[in-house]
Amino acid sequence: MMKSVMEVLLLLMLFFTAHAKEKSYSPPEKTTQTRCRSPEKETFTCWWEPGSDGGLPTTYALYYRKENSETVYECPDYHTAGENSCFFNKNDTSIWVNYNISVVATNALGRAFSDPVDIDVVYIVEPNPPEKLTVVVMEDKGWPFLLVSWEPPHKADTRSGWITLIYELRVRLEEEEDDWEMHHAGQQKMFNIFSLRSGGEYLVEVRCKPDHGFWSEWSSTSYVKVPDYFHREKSMWILVAVFSALIFLILTWLLHMNSHSLKHCILPPVPGPKIKGFDNKLLKNGNSDEIFSALVVPNFPPASASKYEEMLVEYLEVYVPEEPELMLEESKDLLDGCLKSENSRSDSDSGRGSCNSHTLLMDKCGETKEEERQTNRESSLMETQGWKEEAINHDTSGKVKTWPSVYSPLPQYGSNPLDKQSSLETAKQHSLSTSSFLIQPGTKDALGPSYTDFCLSNKENHLHPQTLAHRALQTRSDVNISNIGCKRSPATEYVEVQRVNKEDMVLLQPVVSRCGHIEGCPNLPKGEDYSKLKGVDCDNRLLLQREGTGEDVCPCVDQETNREGGNCYTSSTVSTTQKPTACMYTAMPLQEETALSLNGYVDTATMGNLPSC
Amino acid sequence: MALKKTDGSKLLMAVVCLVAVCSSVPISDLLDRASQGSDKLHALSTIISQDLNSHFPPIGQEIMPRPSMCHTSSLQTPSDKQQTLQVSESDLLSLARSLLQAWSDPLLVLSASANTLHHPDQTSISNQIQELQLHSKSLGDGLDILSGKMGPAAQTISLLPFSGGNDIGQDRISQLINFNFLLSCFRRDSHKIDSFLKVLRCRATKAQPQMC
Repeated sequence: MMKSVMEVLLLLMLFFTAHAKEKSYSPPEKTTQTRCRSPEKETFTCWWEPGSDGGLPTTYALYYRKENSETVYECPDYHTAGENSCFFNKNDTSIWVNYNISVVATNALGRAFSDPVDIDVVYIVEPNPPEKLTVVVMEDKGWPFLLVSWEPPHKADTRSGWITLIYELRVRLEEEEDDWEMHHAGQQKMFNIFSLRSGGEYLVEVRCKPDHGFWSEWSSTSYVKVPDYFHREKSMWILVAVFSALIFLILTWLLHMNSHSLKHCILPPVPGPKIKGFDNKLLKNGNSDEIFSALVVPNFPPASASKYEEMLVEYLEVYVPEEPELMLEESKDLLDGCLKSENSRSDSDSGRGSCNSHTLLMDKCGETKEEERQTNRESSLMETQGWKEEAINHDTSGKVKTWPSVYSPLPQYGSNPLDKQSSLETAKQHSLSTSSFLIQPGTKDALGPSYTDFCLSNKENHLHPQTLAHRALQTRSDVNISNIGCKRSPATEYVEVQRVNKEDMVLLQPVVSRCGHIEGCPNLPKGEDYSKLKGVDCDNRLLLQREGTGEDVCPCVDQETNREGGNCYTSSTVSTTQKPTACMYTAMPLQEETALSLNGYVDTATMGNLPSC
Repeated sequence: MALKKTDGSKLLMAVVCLVAVCSSVPISDLLDRASQGSDKLHALSTIISQDLNSHFPPIGQEIMPRPSMCHTSSLQTPSDKQQTLQVSESDLLSLARSLLQAWSDPLLVLSASANTLHHPDQTSISNQIQELQLHSKSLGDGLDILSGKMGPAAQTISLLPFSGGNDIGQDRISQLINFNFLLSCFRRDSHKIDSFLKVLRCRATKAQPQMC
C-alpha cells in the first residue's frame, strides 16, 4: 500500500521534474547475477546485482516461489545480509525443495524482472571458513614440526552429521609470496607440517568444504616462527663442501701433473719420420755422402775384437792336453775329486767365453803337459790345476786373481801323492778362502765366461773332492753368461762334458765350433753339446741339468744363471766309444750320438745354489 | 571398471556376510561404508548432470517439468534439519532404502536411453550411467544388510513405482528434457540418501566424534 503511494508520488515528481528539466528517465533495468548461498544448509542468502536505475530511485524486491505451490512470497529480510540481498532464515528455508527466485527492480517509470533462478538449498552450500586456527611448533628430536589445529565454522552443525566438512590448509614462508604449500586434511581437524626451515616465519591458512558443496573462504592467517635448529645440518654441509673442494683441488692437481701423459693418451702425437743425425738441409744441398755419413753409426760394426777382450773381466784359460786318452788312463785311479778342465783347441767358441790369449795359454799348457806326461794321473790333475792357475794369471783383464796362492806349491809336480794330497788340500783351503772372491769378478761386467769342466767321482774322500770341486766350480769367473754378447773369440776354448761314466766321472771333450751362434750361447743347453752344471752335491758329485732321462747318477742342480733351465743329461748307461774311465775326455767331434749324456759343457756358475756340506 | 566395481561390491558383500556370520562388524563401520557409497553415487550423478547441462538447449530449462513431478515425490521426507534429526534411525534407513529401491528401474531406463541420446557427451554420459547403476546396486545390497541389524522398522520399504515407462521422448529435445529431468530427480534423491546415511553414521559413532 505504502509502496504504491510512493510509486505514484514518484511518478508525479518525475513528471514535473521532467517537464521542468527536460531530463530523460526510464524504467530500471533488470537486476542480474542473482546468487544464493547457504552456509550451513539451514539458511541461505541471495544477492543480486542491480542494473541501471534509469535515473530514478529504484527499489528492488525479491520474490520466490516454492516448487510445490504457486504462492509467491517476498523476501523476508533485505537487511541482514547487506545491500541488495535477501536473507532466508531457518523458518523460511526448506531443503530438497526448489526455489524459484526472481528480483524485481522498480522505479517510478516501471519495473524490471530479473531472470528467475532455480535453486535447491542443498546444492548451494558454502560454509564459513574454519575458526580458531592454532599453529604450534612441536619439537621432534631436534626437528621441529608445526601442529595445526582448527575448528569448524560455528554455524555448521557437524556434530549431528548434518554437514560433513572436509578441510584443506596451505602454508607458506613469509618471504615467499604466492608460493603456498597445499595440504589436504580430510575430515580431521588437525594436521602436522614437517620439513620446516630453520628460523623461518610461516603463514598458515585453512578452509573447508561440505561433501557436496563449495569451498569456503580461507580462514584468517596464523603466523608462526620456527626456532633455529639448523646448526647441525649447516655444519655438516660446510664439512661436505670443504671436503669436496679438497677433492676437487687434488683432482685438478693430479690432472695438471699428468696433463702431458693425458695429452699423449687422448691426442697422441702424430709421428713424423725422423732419422737421428739426419740433416734435412744437407739433403737439400744434394751432397749424399755427407748425408749418409751421418747415418753411419760410429763404431758399428765393431772394428776389432780386442775391445771385447777388454770388456772381459776374467776368464779361465784351460789347456787341453794333446792325448786325452792318456790323461784319462792316468786319472783312472783318481781318489779324490778329479779336477780337470778341458779346453778345446778350437778357436771358435760359442762366443761366450773369454777367448783370450789362446796361443799363450796353449804354450804354457804344452810345457806343463810334457812334463806331466810321464807322471801319474794325480800329477796330471795337478797340471790341470796348475794350468788353471796359469790361465788365471794370464787373464789380461787383470781382475781375477783366482787361486793365486793356491797353486803356488803346485808347480812342484812331484809324483808324490802326498804332495798332491796336500796340494789338493791346500788348494781346497785356499779355494775355500777365496771362494767368495772368485765369484765377484765375473759377475758384473765380465763378458766372457770361462768354464771349467769338472769330473768328479764320489769315491774316497768325498769331502775333499766335493769341496774342491765346489771351489773349483767357483772358479768360474763369469756368472752372467747370457748377459754377454757372445763374441767370436778364438782364444777361448771350451770343453764340454760328454757324459758321465760308470765311475761317476764326467767325461769331457773339447768343444768344437761353438761360436756360430753368438746370441744363442746362453741357450746352449738347447743344443746337444752342452749341459749345464747345477752344482755339486754332498757326495762330491757334479749335479747337472737333467733332461729327464736316465738315472740319477749325476743329479743336476739348476745353475743360477741358466735361464732356460737347460738340458741336463745324465746317464750312466751311455754307450760311448770312449773308454769308461774317469775323467775321460775326448777330442771327438760333436757328432756323438745324441744319447750321450752330459753333452756340452758344464756350467759351474752355480755358486750360490751349491749345497753346503 | 564397472566389472571391477561389481566384483568389488560382490567381494564386499561376501566379506561383510562372512564377517557378519563370524563376528559382527560394528554398525558404525557398515554405516561408514554405506555413506561412502552414497557419497560416490551422488557425486556421479552431479557430474552427469553437469555434463548434460553443458550442452543443453536453453529452451529445455523453460519447459522442464517440475521436480515435484518426480516419481519419488510422494515419499514424505524431512524437509529441513530439524525434521531430519527428529526422525529415528530405522525410519531414516527405511527412507534411504525406499528411495534407492525406487530408482532401480528408472536407472535402467536412463541407461537404455543414454545410448541414443543426442548429446555431444553421449559416450561419457552413457558410461557414467552404467557406473551409476552398479553403485546403486551395491549400495542397495549394503543397506539391506544394514537394515537387518537395525530392527524391523528398517526393513520396510515404501514402494514408489515408476510410471515413466521405457520411452522418454520421441524427438531429440523431449528426449533430452526427459533425460535431464529424470537425472535431476535422481540427483536429489541420491542426496537425500547420502544425508540420511551420514546422519545415521554420526549417530552410531557417538564414541568417535571425529567421524562426523
